[in-house]
Parts: sequence; C-alpha cells; structure tokens
Amino acid sequence: MVGSRAPKLSGIQKQVLSLYRGFLRTTRSKPPENRAHIESIISGEFRKNSKLIDRKDFLHIEYLIRRGKKQLDQLKTVDSVTLSSSNVDDSTKP
Amino acid sequence: MAAVPVTCVRLTTSMHTNQIIGKPSTLKLVSFGRATSGLSRLSRFQISCAAKPETVTKVCEIVKTQLALSADSVVEPDSKFSALGADSLDTVEIVMTLEEEFGISVEEENSQNITTVQEAADLIEKLVEKKNATA
Repeated sequence: MVGSRAPKLSGIQKQVLSLYRGFLRTTRSKPPENRAHIESIISGEFRKNSKLIDRKDFLHIEYLIRRGKKQLDQLKTVDSVTLSSSNVDDSTKP
Repeated sequence: MAAVPVTCVRLTTSMHTNQIIGKPSTLKLVSFGRATSGLSRLSRFQISCAAKPETVTKVCEIVKTQLALSADSVVEPDSKFSALGADSLDTVEIVMTLEEEFGISVEEENSQNITTVQEAADLIEKLVEKKNATA
C-alpha cells in the first residue's frame, strides 16, 4: 500500500481488538431491536477499560480478556438475546 | 455536495499513480504491460489499483457517521483514520460496518493494515470482486 503504515500494535492489543471484533460480529445474529443496546454496552465497556487501565498492567488486561472470552461465549449461545450491565462501585471495596 | 468528494478522489488517485510510477520498483511492472507510450501506461495502472469513486465516497460517508464527525468536515481518500480522531477500537468498528455495508468479510490480518479511506476502498473492491467471482 502506498506510503502509510499501520500503527504497530502489540500482541495483547491485537488480542483485545480481536475480542472486540468477535463481540461485534456476534451482535449481528441478535434481534435488531436489542442489537443497538448490546453494542452500546460492549463498546462502552471496552472504551471504559481502555481509559481506566494502564496499558502496561498486563495481568489485569489478560484477566479481562479471559473474562471477555467467557462472556462472548455466553453471548454466542442462541438464547441470549440481550445484555445488561450492572455498576459495581470499586470504591466501596475495603 | 456529492461533487466535492468526487473531485477530491480524482485528484488524489492521479497523485497516487505518479508516486507509484516514480518508484523504480514499478519499472518491472511496466515492462509486462508492453506499453508504447507513457500515457497508456498511466491509465492501465489506474484501472488496476484505484477503487471506484462511488466506493470511496461510500467509505467516506461510513467513516463520517461512525466517527460522528460533523457534516461539513472533509474526509478525503488519503485521510488517515487516526488523523480523524479514530483510535484502534474505532477502526475495528469502521471495518465491521464496512463489512456489513458491502456484504464482505475482511480477514483479521488485513483489517489491521487499513489506515486510510483509500486503503479501505481498495480492499473492499478486491473483496467484492472475489465474492462476485465465486458467486
């Protein structure tokens, strides 16, 4: 391709993006009326964590990737038609 | 309104061609074509590498909506997604939307190489062609 280089992404960044892609791909099979809602939760979660978590905090990121993969597997099952998110306030922890 | 991006497209594709022809590596390619004049060489190359203006315009539109850019902001084929304020998550979203709009499937490794509208449009044309060939 002419003149432009893609920014170099680290392996873990690629994993995250691939997970994000997997989520977005899965939403296509969901009922259209729920889809926008599901997508907004997914992208909200990814964006929140992208700002919240230090990019060198690999342990935390890897944990989230593993958790995300499990959640994606759940979302993939046909009978899950919608998502909900609950807010757990971290500051209340001891 | 639609006329503006189209003229942009023409301008930049011809720039692209000049850049490519300026490179010594394309000399090999030229000799394959057995072109007798420089002019036909130019048009030959344009056909093989540049995406259709409609595709580029459509990609521009999608990018605009996806990044929630204002209607009067200019998205040119050479615009880098990052320069338009897109991060890597936005880029994934753009590629996913393009997949749906054009009814194609972009390979994972390819989608990470897309950084400009032009690159996206070129890849889309290639994939649409492939899809039509197999269908």
